[in-house]
Amino acid sequence: MKPIVEIQNLKKYYAINAGLLAKHVGDVKAVDGVSFQIMAGETLGLVGESGCGKSTLGRTILRLEEPTAGKVLYDGENIVKWNKGQLKGMRRGMQMIFQDPQSSLDPRMTAGDSIGEALLVHGMSDDKARRESIGELLKSVGLEPEHAERYPHEFSGGQKQRIGIARALAVNPRLIVADEPVSALDVSVQAQILNLLMDLQRDRGLAFLFIAHDLSVIYHVSNRTAVMYLGKIVEIGDKTEIIRHPLHPYTEALLSAVPCADPRKRQKPILLKGEVPSPAAPPPGCRFHTRCPRATPMCKEQEPALIPESPHRSVACHLIK
Amino acid sequence: MTKPGFFKRAVAGMGGLRNVLALAMFLVICATIPLDILYWNRAIKPLDYSYLFFAVFMLFYGVYPLYVNRRLTRYYWDRIKRHRLAVPGMIFILFLIAVAIIGPFFTGDAVQTNFKEQNFPPLGFTYQQGIYDVKSDNFTTVVSPGVPQHPLGTDDKGRDMLAMLISGARVSLQVGFLATLIAVMIGSFLGVSSAYFGGWVDSVLMRFTDIMMTFPFFLLLILIIFLYGPSLMFIILVIGATGWTGTARLVRSDALSLRTRDFIIASRSLGASDSRIIFRHMMPNVLSQIIVIATLSIPGNMLAESGLSFIGLGDPNVISWGAILNAGFRGINTTWWVAVEPGVILFLTVLAFNFLGDGLRDAFDPRSQS
Amino acid sequence: MDSLLDVHDLKAYFNTRYGEVKAVDGVSFNVGHGETVCLVGESGCGKTTAALSILRLLDSPPGRIAGGKIIYKNEDLLTCSMNRLREIRGNNIAMIFQDPMTSLNPVLKLGSQITEQIRLHLGLNEHDAMARSIELMEQVGIPRARERVNDYPHQFSGGMKQRVMIAAALSCNPEILIADEPTTALDTTVKAQILDIFEGLKKEKNMSILFITHDFGTVAAIADRVVVMYGGRVVETGPATDVFANPHHPYTIGLMKCLPNIEAEGGRLTPIPGTIPSLINPPKGCIFQPRCDMGLEMCANEYPGEHFVSARHSVFCHLHRT
Repeated sequence: MKPIVEIQNLKKYYAINAGLLAKHVGDVKAVDGVSFQIMAGETLGLVGESGCGKSTLGRTILRLEEPTAGKVLYDGENIVKWNKGQLKGMRRGMQMIFQDPQSSLDPRMTAGDSIGEALLVHGMSDDKARRESIGELLKSVGLEPEHAERYPHEFSGGQKQRIGIARALAVNPRLIVADEPVSALDVSVQAQILNLLMDLQRDRGLAFLFIAHDLSVIYHVSNRTAVMYLGKIVEIGDKTEIIRHPLHPYTEALLSAVPCADPRKRQKPILLKGEVPSPAAPPPGCRFHTRCPRATPMCKEQEPALIPESPHRSVACHLIK
Repeated sequence: MTKPGFFKRAVAGMGGLRNVLALAMFLVICATIPLDILYWNRAIKPLDYSYLFFAVFMLFYGVYPLYVNRRLTRYYWDRIKRHRLAVPGMIFILFLIAVAIIGPFFTGDAVQTNFKEQNFPPLGFTYQQGIYDVKSDNFTTVVSPGVPQHPLGTDDKGRDMLAMLISGARVSLQVGFLATLIAVMIGSFLGVSSAYFGGWVDSVLMRFTDIMMTFPFFLLLILIIFLYGPSLMFIILVIGATGWTGTARLVRSDALSLRTRDFIIASRSLGASDSRIIFRHMMPNVLSQIIVIATLSIPGNMLAESGLSFIGLGDPNVISWGAILNAGFRGINTTWWVAVEPGVILFLTVLAFNFLGDGLRDAFDPRSQS
Repeated sequence: MDSLLDVHDLKAYFNTRYGEVKAVDGVSFNVGHGETVCLVGESGCGKTTAALSILRLLDSPPGRIAGGKIIYKNEDLLTCSMNRLREIRGNNIAMIFQDPMTSLNPVLKLGSQITEQIRLHLGLNEHDAMARSIELMEQVGIPRARERVNDYPHQFSGGMKQRVMIAAALSCNPEILIADEPTTALDTTVKAQILDIFEGLKKEKNMSILFITHDFGTVAAIADRVVVMYGGRVVETGPATDVFANPHHPYTIGLMKCLPNIEAEGGRLTPIPGTIPSLINPPKGCIFQPRCDMGLEMCANEYPGEHFVSARHSVFCHLHRT
């Protein structure tokens, strides 16, 4: 099977300019050499803390940010150098849903117009046909066609998120980059949206890049999981393997910090020292060594490569041999 | 998908029927210009043309959207109503506009002098003046009361104050609206482009704005008056062409925060073009800010014109409130009403626009949105 | 356990132009010595309003406390004088807020923000107050505290700012700490660090903590007792272990089921249908009734009273009438 998207050594740096003449003094290495594939119909969960570059990665794959280096292969073709016209075709295949339902809809447009824009941009200029499609899309995300006439402020957070999903579905994409789609929602609504996404995946054979900071959400929706730290992937592979037997010390700490909803199983989490270093000056060697409870002198000097540990999983850690 | 006809596609390409109609109206107005010059002996002045343009513009891009989105209009109307002084302000402004448009047809020629009826006080007041009698070589004092023909009195040339104030209202509103429209259009276009494109475009535009901000508007005006003679059209153009800097900055800062909002990114990820994003997403969202800025800068521009007229740099051929004020100021001790009346009305107008602007700002403020 | 803070039938309403929002409508709970009580619920359930009402920090207008008692050591905080309340704030009851970015003054040095409070309440001189600040900052795990007292808030990360906030709250050795979503804005690993500080406070200082959160995971990690709120009312309260192992209210049961759980199988979740109701015209009977799949006929008409399922575990639900 061919992957829908394959990224190879993708990098996204933001230049830091300082001084009167805006001299280039360094880079924020938001994404620093990431490679993976996403197959048709699968969900790759991407987990990491704020500032690790996971959102930037999602946007760079969609060419909403220009990659600094590396390749994004969409159906085997490198889209990094594509122009606007070429990208328009790709945009029908890859869509995005956002974290904040408040800001992901234009407050001055009705729900129907927001969804309809997708159809309009891709050439459905017939009003009647468009209205019908909008109704269908609204139904498919659990809303009513009448909702098309309403403005965003008339919806609840969960409903807004559904409209955002309908907009992404409008062009019949094969892959959706979901950037923290449930973290701004209340827990009782969160489950509704997660179920909706899983149903849509089943019915339409969608693939997801599901970005989240919450491992338990990732665990529920994904087939494979990637753990990101400071712009790099530290562990990637089969979800169950990673969650049940984490190998990288960071994954381990992240997992132990997920509070279990049962006070009887209360256990002391692995407390990491300090905080995430700045991506403008990532530590040399293994980027995690400053906080790693098991760091060795070697970790400070040599950067570990992402090495396949089993057929289903790769880890970037010197301790795993 | 069926192929829509050529006309339909052309309309869609221009962004809807509204734009087509607006453009057609503009063309009609433009077409009347040569007709006017050739056959009607320039009955319509350049200023009137610009005012017509303004009216068409407002009809299609101000009133029409309000009518189409009735529900949204009602929503904002409810919010404006909460601001206690905005509604009276709005009523006052609408009244003033109506008077400025219809009034001159009833009050007759405001420039008409009539030395038999000079210095009549407003109705309900009396004015004592000394009159030199040639025959007896004596000064006799005459007490003249206000007369119903001149409810607001007359000035020292016997011109009817009401007629002058109404014609002044026309001038002031023209200046206020047109100069503001010019300023706001330049400002918001530069502001939004600057924010959307960023990078060097942003740097160049904003440095240009900085330079314009420090540009001595007064000097430019005096230069133009020196070169071409005082004309209301030039005054409007100069006020408009130099007054956009604040708008550009405010709109830019609004648009900057908008650019990173998810719905803009969503549009980009759908493959929408730059112009679509600017005109369908950015502009409507900064529009509320623009309307507020415009409403609040109208009185400033009116005051600027009045100020110029007051110091004698205005157009001598038009009667503006500032010009009346200037003329009446010399007799403030005796014929006080000539200066006080335009002063009061100017004051009220400025206040009304400020109240309305405040009301609009509160209505549009997303922070107070529930 | 004898109670230190007793909130009794608290009512806090907001006036909006759509009508009166009964954000907190008859809420009772208490916090005992050395006990960590978690006030848990989704957004709009009234948990933050309830917490702010305790120190009368509610913005008024539009908010107002419409009734109830808040008894701290035989004293009603709702009726005591403003001077007395100011003494209690900080000295006896301290509060920490959700967003560490906005709760620190950006133009003041961190040290002086803490010392200010110490000098105000304890009357120490500049030097002693500074020494105490450094001690406090070390206590909450800020490395090189002696140097960092001269830093400004923007030089600190989110987790570090929250530590500073905790240090400031602890400056006068309060008996009760009210923490309003202190870990919500923080990352998973940093959240674990901050929760560890709370754990330490409880163990070492025997501090009473009222912890407000929407995250059941956090509750499970630190709570002794849980107060579950929904629609401005308490729906279930009891020892954390009981409530988690044996939830009785349909809302609590629903929440437990819909939480993504790393221990479970994965895949589909069981959501609670519908959305949170508006509190302007709440349903007449039980507020949860429109979303409840186990409702009885009477649920639509009558608000349920408190029913005890064990000595300390009670639930407001008609299904559990005895």
